[in-house]
Amino acid sequence: MTDDDRRALREAGLGEDMFASAFGASPTPMVVTDARGSDNPIVWVNDAFVALTGYTRAELYGRNCRMLQGQGTDPGEIRRMRDAVATSKKIACELFNYRKDGSAFWNAMTICPVRDEGGAVAWFFAAQADMTDKRRSEQAMRGTNDELERLVDARTADLQAALEQKTALLHEVDHRVKNNLQVISSLMLLKARRTPEGEARDALQSMAERVGALSTAHRMLYSAGDVTRFDLREFAADFLADLTAGIDPDRTTVEAEVDSIAVSAAMAAPLALMMHELATNAVRHAFPNGRSGRVSITARRDDGGLRLLIQDDGVGIAAGPVNPAGFGHSLVEMVVRQLRGTIAWNEAMPGTRVEITIPLDRAN
Amino acid sequence: MTAEPALRILVVEDEVLIALELTYLLEDLGHVMVGVAASSSEAIALGASTAPDVALVDIHLVDGPTGVEVARVLSADPRTTVLFMTANSKRIPEDFAGALGVIAKPYSERVVASALTYVAERRAGRAPATDTPDGFQLAPLN
Repeated sequence: MTDDDRRALREAGLGEDMFASAFGASPTPMVVTDARGSDNPIVWVNDAFVALTGYTRAELYGRNCRMLQGQGTDPGEIRRMRDAVATSKKIACELFNYRKDGSAFWNAMTICPVRDEGGAVAWFFAAQADMTDKRRSEQAMRGTNDELERLVDARTADLQAALEQKTALLHEVDHRVKNNLQVISSLMLLKARRTPEGEARDALQSMAERVGALSTAHRMLYSAGDVTRFDLREFAADFLADLTAGIDPDRTTVEAEVDSIAVSAAMAAPLALMMHELATNAVRHAFPNGRSGRVSITARRDDGGLRLLIQDDGVGIAAGPVNPAGFGHSLVEMVVRQLRGTIAWNEAMPGTRVEITIPLDRAN
Repeated sequence: MTAEPALRILVVEDEVLIALELTYLLEDLGHVMVGVAASSSEAIALGASTAPDVALVDIHLVDGPTGVEVARVLSADPRTTVLFMTANSKRIPEDFAGALGVIAKPYSERVVASALTYVAERRAGRAPATDTPDGFQLAPLN
């Protein structure tokens, strides 16, 4: 105790024996050892220390604190404490200690050297705390965390397996659909080959072509890796190449200006059918009797949605062989209705002009 | 519509309707059919006995996904150019098992015609005049 400390005590009206009473009654276990005695013997403990360790004062006094150590005590931590005591330094450490009855507890303590009036180290004072409960809950928490992590890993593995299964299934279904489209198309073309030239044969061939347009849409849908989107420009490029492969480029030119417009997969088939029907109709019927001409197809998107314009400079609707109540015509009308769009067929003088507006979702 | 020069073609396809229609289509295009095989053993035997210019090979055959193995065997003969013709291109190995490319099912007549024109040009030692059409994809390194 420094002179300053003594002065402060005096001013507060407290005697030095206040400490003996306070420490003795403290619920914190405390111990004092004699630094000058042989092997640092215990010279004082409070009741809380007696309660913590289970030893009586008679059993404690005169002995070194290592009597509390045992098999489970960490030698490294003992060495750290011993070094601090040997060099008279303060230390906080946590030791695995044993009570008189053999039960173990985690003993967290602060040890500090206490000097006499001459400044020499005369005692060591240690205050302790039983950390067993805290350690146990930490352990439990770690166990819980490990268990949670294990559960999350297991769940993740399950989901991964489910995803792989789903992907494999998607590939399988995709493969089957494509193969079946090829079979359907082959079937119709085979029947067409065996049907005499005329209306029936033409009908079979146009059906095979419609299936072809749907096939092109389907092929694009799955090859892009994204099964939910469909790009109208890609489709148009491929589909128009198929269309123009069968016509004389000197007589009929087909121009297309189709923006890259992503639409939902659900719209792919109806849009493909509609574009096929209109473009094929223009190429086949607008230019009878060796007449030459031009077909233009434009598709762009604006605030109103998808705007499609198919125009030719051929003979026009009234002069054309196409019956407005015919199949191709009503197919287009039906598809536009399905897509909740509007369609206008107009005489373009010369030729035919078909304007279609299809609303697109916000997501599109 | 005829191709110059005509190619001698083996079709390896287990779906009878597809094989038959493809046969007609190839003949319309001016090519010569050397045979149709539905299984891997048939395909390999026909390949050995006919040494076709071109083999069109589906991946899934009567005896399972054996088309890859068929392609490997047939393409070992330098006289034969192999093209896969499948709806299942994900099954094609990275080295394409020796095949030149793949025609995706469902295919159109135009894609089959232009793929074969491409092959004919290559076999004649000419640089093919046009880009490959969308439904026809070349193996890497070609």
